[in-house]
Amino acid sequence: MWSLPLLIIVTTILLSFPFGRYLAWIMDGKYNPPGWLRWIEDRLDTGAQNWKQYTVALMLFNTMAFVVGYAVLQLQAFLPLNPDHRGTLSPTTIFNTVTSFMTNTNLQHYSGDQHLSHFSQIGFILWNMFTSAAVGFCVLAAIIRGLRGDSHMGNYYKDMWRVIVYAFIPVSLVMGVLLMAEGQPMTFEGQAQIATVEDGAMGTAPDGKPNPQMIVRGPVAAIMPIKHLGTNGGGFYGANSAHPYENPTAWSNFLTCVNILIFPLSLIVMFGRMLNNMRHAMVIYAVMTIMFFGMAGWAIYWDTLHPNPGLTAHEMQTYEAADATAPGGKRTIDSPMIAGLPVDQELGNLEGKELRFGTSAGATFAAITTAVTCGSVNCMHDSLNPLAGITPMTGMWLNCVYGGKGVGMVNMLVYLIVGVFLAGLMVGRTPEYLGKKVEAREMKLAMLALLIHPIMILGPTGLFAALDWGRGATNNPGSHGFSEILYEFSSASANNGSGFEGLGDTYGYYDNQAPAPFSPHWDIATGLVMLISRYIPIIAPIALAASLAAKKLTPFTAGTMRTDNVTFAFVLLGTVLLVGALLFLPAAVLGPVAEHLGPLPFGG
Amino acid sequence: MNAHLRANFLLLVVTIVLCCVVYPAILFGIGQTVFHDKAEGSLIYDKQGKPIGSHLIAQPFSGEGYFQPRPSAVSYNAAGSGGSNWGANQYLLRERVARQLGPIVKYAGARKGQPVGPDVEAWFQKDQYDGKPGIVAQWAAAHGTVASNWAKADPLNGGYVLAWMNDHADDMAQWKKDNPDNAAPKPEDMAVTFFSSFSKVHPGEFPSAVESATADGKSEKTIQPVKAGTDIQGIFFDLWRQEHPTADLEPVPADMVMASGSGLDPHITLKNALYQLDRVAARRAADTNRNVNEVRKEIEALLQQKKEAPLGGLVGVDLVNVLEVNLALRDR
Repeated sequence: MWSLPLLIIVTTILLSFPFGRYLAWIMDGKYNPPGWLRWIEDRLDTGAQNWKQYTVALMLFNTMAFVVGYAVLQLQAFLPLNPDHRGTLSPTTIFNTVTSFMTNTNLQHYSGDQHLSHFSQIGFILWNMFTSAAVGFCVLAAIIRGLRGDSHMGNYYKDMWRVIVYAFIPVSLVMGVLLMAEGQPMTFEGQAQIATVEDGAMGTAPDGKPNPQMIVRGPVAAIMPIKHLGTNGGGFYGANSAHPYENPTAWSNFLTCVNILIFPLSLIVMFGRMLNNMRHAMVIYAVMTIMFFGMAGWAIYWDTLHPNPGLTAHEMQTYEAADATAPGGKRTIDSPMIAGLPVDQELGNLEGKELRFGTSAGATFAAITTAVTCGSVNCMHDSLNPLAGITPMTGMWLNCVYGGKGVGMVNMLVYLIVGVFLAGLMVGRTPEYLGKKVEAREMKLAMLALLIHPIMILGPTGLFAALDWGRGATNNPGSHGFSEILYEFSSASANNGSGFEGLGDTYGYYDNQAPAPFSPHWDIATGLVMLISRYIPIIAPIALAASLAAKKLTPFTAGTMRTDNVTFAFVLLGTVLLVGALLFLPAAVLGPVAEHLGPLPFGG
Repeated sequence: MNAHLRANFLLLVVTIVLCCVVYPAILFGIGQTVFHDKAEGSLIYDKQGKPIGSHLIAQPFSGEGYFQPRPSAVSYNAAGSGGSNWGANQYLLRERVARQLGPIVKYAGARKGQPVGPDVEAWFQKDQYDGKPGIVAQWAAAHGTVASNWAKADPLNGGYVLAWMNDHADDMAQWKKDNPDNAAPKPEDMAVTFFSSFSKVHPGEFPSAVESATADGKSEKTIQPVKAGTDIQGIFFDLWRQEHPTADLEPVPADMVMASGSGLDPHITLKNALYQLDRVAARRAADTNRNVNEVRKEIEALLQQKKEAPLGGLVGVDLVNVLEVNLALRDR
């Protein structure tokens, strides 16, 4: 039960130290590559960049990524490596998908096994997984250079090159081999046609012949390593890492979980190394780890140690509802007693879970994938027990429980600045961070980066929940339907990409006669949310770091508030929980908490 | 700006070459040579070299002589994987589970081992629920979506609804009065009214597919009112349970009735397999005219031999791969 999450987190923490040192060594350019690699690197190096030049370079590259990605998906039907003859997706789906992969979100309003060719999987998905993951990484490196007072932020192109060539590709190769050994396919063949052991087990065709089982295959093992190492999360198959080809065994599931966590955790160590302030980094590491244990423990407690309450017995309950026409303004609603179904749920809620990963694997994965904005899933989050669903949502709301590689640390830095500011106000001193005064400009930038997230989640959720756009797309009644809407925007804004996937947001091919009715609305709305919530929260902190870099270093005195001790850890934890979690408490009450309080099941 | 564009373009080209050509080519080379069968999808072939399954992908089995995999929300479609995505408050989830439970649940306690199904049928035939007559009408009124889904599930069901409504002009007229906007009603739109009308004409009966021989010797399925059968045992098990909340029933292993995330989970728990063992052994013994206990013992030995556990049992319970076990059973 608890052995799996402990094994995963302990292994990853141990690995994060050598990894983090290596990454710092790479990003500080202390390596000496062979001549031809150096030659390409020198061509990429356009010289030292200030924060504006760095940002322009980043935005230029992303614009190009958008154009190339759009072209690949738009032309899918005419490109090679398309053995199953996939057609052209609808325009809004292409917009959503290109945006989603460019922003490292990997929200999928299509189904990989039904809608993409092998060319798109390799040329679009795989390429974006490498590059979009490197973008967040580079941003963190640039910000660290600003914080430690370098005269420039580095060079964006050189940073991208370093991350991809010296970090992502070598680790992905090793992982790819390990995962292939577990059974991940690596082929460019199309579907395998299976003659079932029992004739007609898949039904019979109109001509009386038994239907075959068609099994979609492809270059899965190339995509899986970077899907997780880059905290991307976009599945080759619709079922993502629950699919046996994406995740064949308990060992592959363990490797996957370590892959998801390894870079976000190593980056904390890299942060400490590059700043030469390991104690401060360890305070951040500890705060993040405490939050992670909370998330994972909550999910396992409510999902693995509790049965699915939809099948169990419930006492009669009486609810009070506001009703202007009733006497006293209230009316009571009785929910009758419900008898339990004879199901032995000793392994917890098994709906939407796979068996081969281990008993608590679904809940553990749900916590991991949302703590670090990966968004890959090995169980269907929509079918998690009501309260367990709070764990993935909280991960996305806070967005800094480790957080995505690079951007998670950046989000945490924003909370750090706010925490320092709050603590400074409380003790009546000018707040300082790493020896630099935090003033109005920094606070404005921090608040900009911080508030975009709740605005982009709660605003559209309210809009869609009030309109048919949302209500007409949900797959579950009442509060759970609301949770589906809330989850979708949380996932888009956190650049996570997982979903309460019952939501009807798939249009499919452009000539689909019966698409999900409101799928274009979802495509466009979540596409815009992803763009806004990706770029503002990374550009504002770059500007913030540059602004700090330009300031004079104030001498360290007895009155300086320390940022490397236990007291500060509590300040930071308090700031994240108060500012981050309280913003979303009302929404959580309307969704998962209301569902938990019943009645269960509800209508139907 | 020119330097920016040049570097951008170069970065684009080198990343495409490295990430989309070199990197996958290396893995493809290793996969195809070192792990060839796995790289092609871990397929299982028969003696003629035709693929008959994959070690990793669940295949449906319905025969009594085979172990059955977990239910699949996508009907075991390995070209469109997925789960039900139903939450705990979704009645359809409870309904799907109850429908599967009805025909298989047995009593525990004093009546240990006896199936519940016949009792559900007998209760259904009395046609009293919550102190009122008309079980089918009350069921359809309370669970409109389930009733609609029944009408959609099969063209035969839909055809029966349409024919019924056309034969019962009063009900049709009433339905049209209640739904003035719907000019061309589909069967699923009229399902609740249909069941209410059906319940009055055929108390204690439910429309079910019945196979009968036609004049030319072929068999043909038609919908007819029936008093018993797995439809009634399944669909009305949940209602029966509400009126018999204290009946002592033997719990069914959850993975037998709860669908997996991918719809393609190749495993079931050993516990589930042992639960199915009686059925499988009885069928296999009957087919081969052998002693049930002996067959049972052999199959149990097979299950024990084939069982595996996640990370050697460190993180999960014993499982068996359904397709592998069934192939072993077939080849015995």
